[in-house]
Parts: sequence; structure tokens; C-alpha cells
Amino acid sequence: MTAHTRPERRRPKRPAKRQMLLALLITLAATGLAWTLAVYLAPESVRVPLAWGAGAGALALCVAVPWAAHGRAETRRLTEELAAHRRRLDEFADTEVTALVERLRGGASTATALGASRPENAAEERVLRALAEEVGRAEAGRAAALAAGAGAGARLQALTLSMLAELREMEHRHTDEDVLGDLLLIDHRTAQAGRLADSIAVLTGARSGRRWSKPIVMESIIRGAMGRIGGYQRVRSHSTVNVAVAGHAAEGVMHALAEILDNAANFSPPTAEVHVYVEEVPAGVVITVEDSGLVMSDVALRRAERAVSDEPLDLASLSGTRLGLAVVGVLARKYGLKVSFRPSARGGTGVLLMIPQELLSRPRAADEPLGFAAATTPVPAAQAPEPKPEPAPEPAPAPAPVEAPPAPEPVAADDRPLPTREHAPAESSTTDELPQFGESGLPKRRRGRTLAAAHRQERARAERDSGPAPTHSPAESAARFGAFRQALQGRDRAAGEPTAPSPREESHPEEHTP
Amino acid sequence: MSRPGRDEDPDRLYTVTRGRSRASSDAFDLVTLVVSESEPSPGMQSEHIRILRMCQYPTAVVEISAELKLPITVVRILLSDLLDSGLITARHPQTARAAAHLPDSNLLEQVLVGLRNL
Repeated sequence: MTAHTRPERRRPKRPAKRQMLLALLITLAATGLAWTLAVYLAPESVRVPLAWGAGAGALALCVAVPWAAHGRAETRRLTEELAAHRRRLDEFADTEVTALVERLRGGASTATALGASRPENAAEERVLRALAEEVGRAEAGRAAALAAGAGAGARLQALTLSMLAELREMEHRHTDEDVLGDLLLIDHRTAQAGRLADSIAVLTGARSGRRWSKPIVMESIIRGAMGRIGGYQRVRSHSTVNVAVAGHAAEGVMHALAEILDNAANFSPPTAEVHVYVEEVPAGVVITVEDSGLVMSDVALRRAERAVSDEPLDLASLSGTRLGLAVVGVLARKYGLKVSFRPSARGGTGVLLMIPQELLSRPRAADEPLGFAAATTPVPAAQAPEPKPEPAPEPAPAPAPVEAPPAPEPVAADDRPLPTREHAPAESSTTDELPQFGESGLPKRRRGRTLAAAHRQERARAERDSGPAPTHSPAESAARFGAFRQALQGRDRAAGEPTAPSPREESHPEEHTP
Repeated sequence: MSRPGRDEDPDRLYTVTRGRSRASSDAFDLVTLVVSESEPSPGMQSEHIRILRMCQYPTAVVEISAELKLPITVVRILLSDLLDSGLITARHPQTARAAAHLPDSNLLEQVLVGLRNL
């Protein structure tokens, strides 16, 4: 690897020799000519001493001139070499070292990173090796610390999630008002602990806590965010917007909003209210959080804006007590949310959180939970025959005998691409609605629902229907039997038996655990 | 639906009740019939809207609770909010009043004796 530079440095040597020879020849010629002329022209009496003297002088000149020429060439060569060294040193410092550090930061091992660099001599190599080892060790330490933090955060998350679910169950079980009050208090504390666990997970780059299996309407988003902060009773929400946030992003939006609300509540007087406004804009939905607390100073504002800007998170900029904005920044980058700050008309700070259109969907116009169809823009009536929870024209137990072989019917009516993204109202996915059947007699999966859930319902229905004498045709019975078998397999896979969760399930309480 | 460790609703109950755990009125027991007196208006809490929709015909508290999937205590808090703002009325079921108006046992006994004597 050093070979390619060597000829370059040796090159001055040969011209130096040639120059020396040239100088010798010229001197020889010139002194020889001068000597001959001098001897020839001199009078006879001084010719011999002159010949000797001039000869000696010429000889000395012949030695001195090439010597001087050589010296000059050598000086030039050394100067050049020195300049080259200096250039190389600059290059080494500017390029090689930074490239090496970058490679190491990018996750390359010490050996890989060193292999890609090109030291020109042993000294450089020693420098690079020492550097690589040191940086590599620091990087490995950082990665290990992050991974440990992420793991602990994720376990904490799973723990608080299951605690929250258990608390909800208890709240349903106990009707005593005092008990309920205590449970609600614990619930609130647990939710705040959960937010902290979520923050740790977000900052350490773990997967976010949970996925909601359905879009979450805006009211629930705001209440979910409110529930995770201490002063939730001071938050007033003014929302008539009837949109929902896609399930995969809902948790992130809620968490970011919770951090913003927490900041607003913490930095305003303990009795002042924090107002949340939701507004639809062409690009999405803007949630404005306004407090009447302190106005942010310029420095604080700049820091806040940097935290939520597009630059990736620099862990070194974190301080122990104020994680909120860093978390918001990470979440905003992850989900494409836009956060901006402005002074609030209420005297404090206003924070604007923009949720882009691609994360939003609109509940179906039929029975949207908020019921503002009249107040807001009417949704195009795309209420194709969807299974409704209540009247549900029971997919007659004995429809016309199905002769067709159970060809895999493409799920036609349900999976058509919706022009305006709509989703089933929040509760319908959890109610025990009747499954839809395709022509093959197999249950069809609704969008956004797990197959296991569909099968569970099918199973429940099958049990209900098993009482009366069956009037199925043989073909239909066969199809049903196939569905039943699939349902059983589905149940095993989904571990749907609530009474006896498998041990695997116990140790990993949720699919939320990363 | 409530598998242990699974929670499919981001609304914590204390956000639904705004931190209260006690209803402001005792007007509601499990079988109190609730009738809505007005249409839901925009900006109301979604639970209130659903209650008002549901109670266009008299509906028992316990049914509301089942439909909303909320504990009775929480539903009672929500209902007392609505009652306080005059959006619903609460009636005790007819049977209770009927029981109160039953003729007293003395009279019944006399009738029985009279019947036997026939």
C-alpha cells in the first residue's frame, strides 16, 4: 500500500545525478577550453607555471561546481519532500482519522475499520490503531449501555402495561366508590410511570411500547395523553375534529402529546389551565397546546426548536431532568410529526403539533363515536353493507346449499381500497359482532383485525348454533368443518384461552414487548 | 376480550371521569331508567353523546354500563353530570312504584277469608 507513493518521492534523485554530471561536463569543457586558451596565449616564460596553476584551479572548479549543483538539487528535493510530508499529515488528520472514527461510529469493528484505512507508514498505522481501539471501546460501551437501557425500559414498559390492564380489570370488578377512587389513583401513577418507561425506550432507540390494533379517535388520543401526566385535571380539550390516528402511530402521537402537555403543565402556575385545541388543516391535523405560564426565552426556544428539528438525537445533549423535548423530537422524526413553538395569546407558550394526513383516518359516517357529522365536513357515503354490531342479519345458518368448491374467494367487498380512508368505529372491533362469511362458507377477515379474533368469534357462533338440528347441506358442512379446524389451529396460535395462558405468554406478557 | 395484560383502550377511567370516583347524586341505582331529554351537541364528551343516543328510549343504568363497557360507578358519574345539566331524566322503574302501591296485607287477608267463605 505504500508502494504507489515511493517512486514519487525517489524521482528527484535521478535528475540530481544527471544534473551533477551535466554540471561536471560543462565545467570540464569550459575550464578545459579556458585552460588551453590561457596556456596557448601566455608568453613562453610563464607558460609552465600557468599551466600547472590554471590546471589545479580548473580541477578544483570541476569538483566544486558539480558538488554545488548536487547540493542545490538535494535541497530542492528535501524541500519538496518536506512539503509532501506536510500535505500528507494534513490529509491524515483531516481525512484518514475522521474517516476511521466515522466508520467506527457507524458500527464497524476495530479490525474492519482499520482494514479500510490506508496508513503510509508504521507511525501512522500506530496512531490509527491506538485511536481505533480507543474509539471502538467507547462505542462498544455506549452501545452496550444503550442496549441495557433499552432492555430495561422495555421490561418496565411491559410491566406497566400489564399493570394498567390489571388495574382496569379491577376497576371493573369493584363497585365500591372508595375502592374505585384508590384504584384510579394508582392507575394514574402507573400511567405516569409508564410514560417515563416509554421515554426511556424512545431515547434508547427501543421499539415503541405498544401497537394499537385499531385507529384511535382524536378524543381518545388527547385523553390518553392527558392520563399520563400529573396535572391532567388542568387540561381542557376543545376538539370537535372527527378523525382518528392510525393504530401504528397512535402510541407515538399520544406519547409526544403527553410530553408536550407535561411541559405545559409543569411550566405554568399550578392553578392555570392548559388548553388543547384540535384543528383540521389540508396537510393533516394540528393540535395546539397553550399554557399561560412562562414565555420561553430565546435560548430556551432555540434549544427546544433544535430538539424537535430534523437533526438526529445527540445523546450528549440530554440532561437528566428534561427529557421531554428530546423524546418529542425522536417521535416527531419517526412519525413525520411537525412541532413548532410560538408565544401563546394566553401569555405562555403555544406548541403546535402537526399530524400528517397519512397517519389519519376518518371513522365511518354511519355511527361515528363522536357524532359530529353535521358539524364537520360530511364524509362521502361509502357505507357499503358492513356488519353492524346489533341487527346483524345473521348469516343464515342454512343459506342456499353451496355447491361451489371452497375456492378461495377473494375478500371482495371488504378489502376494496377505500378512497377516503375510513375505519370501523372504535368500539366495533372489540364488540362481539358476527363474522362475515364468504361464499365458500369460511369466515372473512375484516381489515385491521387479526385472523385469530375472527376465528374466535366464528367459534363462539358455532357453539351457539350447535344446539338446533343442523340443516346444512353436505358441501356446506364440509366447508364449516374446514373452518372449524382452522379455528382450532388459530386458537392454538393465538393462545386465546383466557383461563390458561401458555407459559410462554406469561413470561412475555404482551406482544408489546420488543 | 380482556385477556390479562391486554388493554385495548387508551382512555384511562380517571380521564373519563376527570378524576372523580364518586357520583354527585344518588339518583341512580342499577335499574334506574334513563331517558335523554335533548340531542347531543358538538364538543361533548363522547361517552355523554353515546348515552344520549342510547337513551332515546328508557334504558337501565346497567344496560348503559354494559354498552359503554364502563364500570357502573363511572357510568353513574357520567349520568349525574348529564342530570345536573338537565340533559337526561331518571325514573325508577314502574315495578318499584307498583310495589309501593300494593294494598296492605290486612285487606288481602280479608279478601282471602271472604273467598274461602264463598
